[in-house]
Amino acid sequence: MVENARSINIVASLILLVGIIYILGPLYLTLTTASHSYEFMLQNGLVWSPGDEFFVNIRRIFTETSIPRQMINSLIVALGDAIATCVLSFLSAYAIVYFRTRWAGVVFALILATVILPLDMRFVTTYQVASNVFSPINALLDATGLNDLIAALFGAPFHMEWSILNTHAGLVIPLLAHGMGTFLFRQFFLTLPRDLFKAARMDGAGPIRFLVDILLPLSRSTFASLFVLTFLSGWTQYLWPLVASSTADMQTAVVGLARLVPDEGAVPDYPLIMAGAILVSIVPLSMIALLQRYLVQGLILSEK
Amino acid sequence: MFLGSTMFRHRWLPIFLVAPLAVLVFLFFYAPVFQAFYWSFFLERPFGGGSEYVGWDNFARVLSDPEFWKASGRTVLFMATASSLAVLVPLILAIAADRAVRMSLPARNILVWPKGIAGASIGLVFSFVFNPFVGVLAPLNSLFPGIWNPSFDGFDAYISLIVAHVWGNIPFNFVILLAGLRAIPHTIIQAGAMDGAGPWRRILDVQLPLIMPQLFLTLVLEFTESVTSAFALIDTITKGGPGGATTLLVYKIYLDGFSSYDLSGASTQTAILMVFFILVATLQFVLLGRHINYER
Amino acid sequence: MNAVDTAIHVAAKSIRLADVTKAYGKVNVIPSLDIEFRSGEFTVILGPSGCGKSTLLQMIAGLERVTNGKILFGGKEVQDLEPKQRGCAMVFQNYALYPHMTVAENMSYSLKVAGMTKPERQARVKIVAGMLGLGDYLDRKPGQLSGGQRQRVAIGRAIIREPGVLLFDEPLSNLDAQLRHDTRIELADLHRRIGATTVFVTHDQVEAMTLADRILILNKGQVEQFDTPKAIYHRPASVFVAKFIGSPPMNILPAQGDGSVLRLSDGQVVGEYGLKGDFQLGIRPENVVVEQGMSGGLAAPVRFREDLGSHSIISVDIAGTPVRIATPFGGVVPDYTRLAVTFPMKALHLFDGQTGKAIPEGFGVASKDGK
Repeated sequence: MVENARSINIVASLILLVGIIYILGPLYLTLTTASHSYEFMLQNGLVWSPGDEFFVNIRRIFTETSIPRQMINSLIVALGDAIATCVLSFLSAYAIVYFRTRWAGVVFALILATVILPLDMRFVTTYQVASNVFSPINALLDATGLNDLIAALFGAPFHMEWSILNTHAGLVIPLLAHGMGTFLFRQFFLTLPRDLFKAARMDGAGPIRFLVDILLPLSRSTFASLFVLTFLSGWTQYLWPLVASSTADMQTAVVGLARLVPDEGAVPDYPLIMAGAILVSIVPLSMIALLQRYLVQGLILSEK
Repeated sequence: MFLGSTMFRHRWLPIFLVAPLAVLVFLFFYAPVFQAFYWSFFLERPFGGGSEYVGWDNFARVLSDPEFWKASGRTVLFMATASSLAVLVPLILAIAADRAVRMSLPARNILVWPKGIAGASIGLVFSFVFNPFVGVLAPLNSLFPGIWNPSFDGFDAYISLIVAHVWGNIPFNFVILLAGLRAIPHTIIQAGAMDGAGPWRRILDVQLPLIMPQLFLTLVLEFTESVTSAFALIDTITKGGPGGATTLLVYKIYLDGFSSYDLSGASTQTAILMVFFILVATLQFVLLGRHINYER
Repeated sequence: MNAVDTAIHVAAKSIRLADVTKAYGKVNVIPSLDIEFRSGEFTVILGPSGCGKSTLLQMIAGLERVTNGKILFGGKEVQDLEPKQRGCAMVFQNYALYPHMTVAENMSYSLKVAGMTKPERQARVKIVAGMLGLGDYLDRKPGQLSGGQRQRVAIGRAIIREPGVLLFDEPLSNLDAQLRHDTRIELADLHRRIGATTVFVTHDQVEAMTLADRILILNKGQVEQFDTPKAIYHRPASVFVAKFIGSPPMNILPAQGDGSVLRLSDGQVVGEYGLKGDFQLGIRPENVVVEQGMSGGLAAPVRFREDLGSHSIISVDIAGTPVRIATPFGGVVPDYTRLAVTFPMKALHLFDGQTGKAIPEGFGVASKDGK
């Protein structure tokens, strides 16, 4: 920095230290608690020193709870969310930025508007749609009177039912109705020089060639950022998987973890819960450790 | 502008490309949003028991319910306090991390960790940390009995939620604000020093004004975030209690819709919440339209 | 300083760097400098990028700390003082204006920090804005100004405090050619009126030649030469300086002295010379004489010719080394493919073959009397 301001550097270091303790403190307590037995915890409360029951508690997670199975669900949800979001957003942003259409602006605005009202706000009626994916189409056909026509032509109105509740698809698909990825790719495409496009056209590249040979390789780090962001968001979802899954074997790990707390009465088995919390957080935390660069880049991009 | 040469002309391909996402957005965003408003004018019976048009009855019912107003009041209060703290704390950390101190590097790494930990997971951790009998504050309770008990004292429960919320929202806000600070050209800081402004003065006169866009953005995003992400924390730390003291609107909608099966009531409240956030978004748009972005 | 000309009064201070060194970790950016900028003098620090010139300026400003040594302003040690305590002002390369403040606020910020009252500040702003022709723009933000106007605001912000030391860090490099020329003239005029000790960093030799009382040429953190523009042009102290100053730069050819004559590497004789050893021979393009006719002198096959209107630059090969010759446009040289040229002895510069330093014994008339 500019001056050799020792005092302010000391203050800055202290602030950062407090910040780090604030973040790590609860995580550390999670570790120590997970290493004691339930009885020990009841007697001594929260303990800062580690015990020796850590692997016992981890084993109990595997033998007494559905969390291992639920972690597979979480992985499916997070991967499905991340991969599908990357693909769908990339394609739609490509269509919006690189094609001359009359509707591109409107469609982009309609897609972007999804960020205003997140899923956690509209979960009640999203649940209804998920219980019958065709219900909006049925309603549309009813409302426009087309169904009368169909009934006259085919003998019965168009009415189909397909519930995706309590399926992996049902956990993932509603998460995809989100405009952030499209926004991210659009912003990235707009930063690319227009001459790149012209040069590719001069070289005879059509839409598909341009997409595959030019855009795809250039977008690698945007893909990585979006992937990390959506994976983490998919893994850490709570409200949607809570309502969209009705059986333990379809719940995600985070939901399953919260279910380990008894509804009323006794002090919960915190060592077991904390051991579960560690297991549940290992995947996203190692992802952050490995791909931190992309996470930070993604967070910054999503702001612009 | 001559756009023709910088864009493809194709009739079907772009439609084909955008269609998958567009269909999903229609089915799982616009249909549910529309349905929330639609249902708020119908009395909907659970389990497909049919529905009947009731006009503004649902709104009258919801708006005359004192619990709705209490939950709304708590929501606004939580929005105001939690989001300002969730911006202020990362702001202070970002200003500190922007200085060339040794602690800056580990801090920049560790402060993004919460991004990988689900709100519900950290909620459980904090419910334990704040447990009046076995938690960190338990010794305090043995000295002054009853001084800390989130399961009886609404205020204590509220504090627990805020501490957990700020914890979980440090990464995004910290990263954005730090990026804003680092984007300030070094020479502007040097110019400040040449003009005689010391480090503290420069924070106020130079750095803060120049990260206004980022500050504003994090605060606006926090508004939505604080209201929706609070659900996982409430469900794991306080269950809306004690005595409904931490039942925010989102949690109330969940209880009404999925415990009491009052779909019409839940939809009506969802519709009201949505209107509120559409207003917030509009306000954001209007304010962002004013140029707080400076050309450098 | 002319007090009638301006209402800005500075007490110019000399700047002395006493055995100053600067290292970043193990990288020695400035091995050791011992120089003095005289009070009221306009010094230009010139050098290629990475030569340490900006670091030097930042150390004078107090934005970088010296690793060792002392900096004295008017005899007072300042190397441990913060920038604000040194009483110097700086104009930055990208202007570094505060984008959120108006022109008036930008210029008067230092006065505000110093605790001056608003009416006093406004009066000062008015004077400085008048000097720089910024009177109509005081309420604008920097984003609404042109590059030249921003430049003036940056200068106004620096001089408003009446600094004894005024520092410029490549302030003209972001301007287009015409504006750069105009601003250069204004800066020279401003310096005449204010009289602050001025240190100006640039890599542009034209700026250095036109603005400086003295030029300090830096190479890898060390002084190559510190002298008046005239002396630097006519008596370059080293091959580095010779190549750095002049456009096109001085031609340098390897040569050998056998005690009686000076030969180029291919054996051609340049002229009579009494010293023995390996040399580097320098001659400015305008001093090369093209022989009428084709005979005599050194053989110089023509590679190409650039006509610049006022004069032409002919590139030739002499003893396998590219040499450029400046001749009046459309002058004596027809479109030959081979020329014969001579190097007038009085225009030659001779440098040591190994170190590249000028030979003190000198050579020819030009290097002796500085013409």
